[in-house]
Amino acid sequence: MSLSALTKGAIVHLQDVTVNFGGVNILDHVSASVPKGSYTAIVGPNGAGKTTLLLAILQKVPYTGRILVTCEPPGRPARIGYVPQRFQFDRGTPLTVMEFMVMGRQRLPLWFGHQRFYREKARDILRAVKAEALESRRLGALSGGEMQRVLLALALQQEPDLLVLDEPSTGLDLQGEHIYCELLDGLRTQHGFTQLTVSHDLATVTHHATHVICLNRRVAAEGAPRSVLTSEALTAIFGLHMGLVDSRAMPDGKSNCTAPCCARDEHA
Amino acid sequence: MPDLTFVYDFISVILPFDCMQVRFMQKALFGLILLAPMTAAMGVQVINFRMAFFSDAVSHSAFAGAAMALIFSTNPHWTMPVFGLMVGLGIMAMQRGSALSSDTIIGVFFSAVIAFGLAVVSRDRSAARNLQNFLYGDILTITDMDINCLVALFVILILFQTWGYNRMIYIGLNATLAETHQVRVAAYQYAFAGLLSLVVIFAVYAVGVLLVTAMLIVPAAAARNLARSSGGMFWWALLAAVFSAVGGLIVSAQEWARTASGATIILIASLWFVVSAGISHFQNRRTP
Repeated sequence: MSLSALTKGAIVHLQDVTVNFGGVNILDHVSASVPKGSYTAIVGPNGAGKTTLLLAILQKVPYTGRILVTCEPPGRPARIGYVPQRFQFDRGTPLTVMEFMVMGRQRLPLWFGHQRFYREKARDILRAVKAEALESRRLGALSGGEMQRVLLALALQQEPDLLVLDEPSTGLDLQGEHIYCELLDGLRTQHGFTQLTVSHDLATVTHHATHVICLNRRVAAEGAPRSVLTSEALTAIFGLHMGLVDSRAMPDGKSNCTAPCCARDEHA
Repeated sequence: MPDLTFVYDFISVILPFDCMQVRFMQKALFGLILLAPMTAAMGVQVINFRMAFFSDAVSHSAFAGAAMALIFSTNPHWTMPVFGLMVGLGIMAMQRGSALSSDTIIGVFFSAVIAFGLAVVSRDRSAARNLQNFLYGDILTITDMDINCLVALFVILILFQTWGYNRMIYIGLNATLAETHQVRVAAYQYAFAGLLSLVVIFAVYAVGVLLVTAMLIVPAAAARNLARSSGGMFWWALLAAVFSAVGGLIVSAQEWARTASGATIILIASLWFVVSAGISHFQNRRTP
């Protein structure tokens, strides 16, 4: 099949992708696609291979099969912004948020300071993620929520065609998760990127995602959330308790969504 | 070979100490003034990449490099950098391509190069006598050829740091993130490993195998205590390294001291670290 036919309407196309570590198939013949402009969520239990799938898309793990990431206009490599699940770094490193933002863009060494062009650009993006007050702070002194917003700003600085987030709400409190949830919705609308997120938060996924890939080493189901995240499917993938998230019970109301951003709408 | 007499004469004028009026001291100081900024800049990244053990392995390969010179009956000042470079790039290639942890890979290289050096030297008793030079270093015997090589390495390293400092910080923070965001991680890592290997081997001439890692780590560690930003850390490391190198050489040549220059340099750098740790502790207590 031709490339254009394979990727029609999709920014990421996975065909028969298998990842094997030490004789164990972490991903087993995964075929799926991520529609352009969508908010696609990858859900599945622990050990389902969700993060491995993201790493395969980012070309960070060896795999067999085919992964195509396309963009508009074609002919250039797709720009990918990445927000890791846990950004592990030496917190004692003397590095300010502004230095962190410009280090991947500015060629002039940081010992000569920041160039105005890159500084202004970084400020704009920090403002967009409500982190403009953090620019002089040391990176190691940021809270979990602040760090997530700065990482999001760094990823957005790539002007990505595809924004990849690995469980972005890990370590955030309810308010932090709320801010993050709202921010991403707004930024996706504004910048027009495709969002690919690994998430454990089924309530948020059900309510906000436009496309869902249910993964348990293989693709168990794929499609619109309300048709995919059925009690039966979730129970089959996750086990007994997932019947509690009944997506079919909320086709026209937000009352059953426990996502913090929806909970606020409910109280409004 | 360029004539550097004007540099040595200039040193004797700006540092009017008795010890600085002799040519070998002027050469030693010039060598250190070239070497110290390089160890400072690379040291900042050695700390970021947690590569202290890597530099230890490369420095010990100097011993094996000297053994190679015995085998091929050539000048060790050529075989040491070449062997060090091969060891550094070999470790980096193994680290990138193997599932083994970094310290395991470095440990294997470390042991292998030491064993190779000892095996060769044990066959030749006269070579064993030169072991002291490797252990303690001897900047006072630096040759014109060494200085010319240092000048060339200095220029290459400044170009590399100017071009890649920011990207190296990025990679040191998180290589996966940097690579996803279009940084050529492999190219930078290989270039860094190669240059670091060469700097380490030249530092072996100055302070010896035992103290070479200290020359990379201690000024950068002191800088980390004092700096608030990545740019600040670079300048503090540079200041600490150059001050320690110049101060160490001058102090070691004083009649009342008469100490090994390499050890004296590291002692002064360590003093920088102690003072910086005190300042950092005091500042942290004041910050709520």
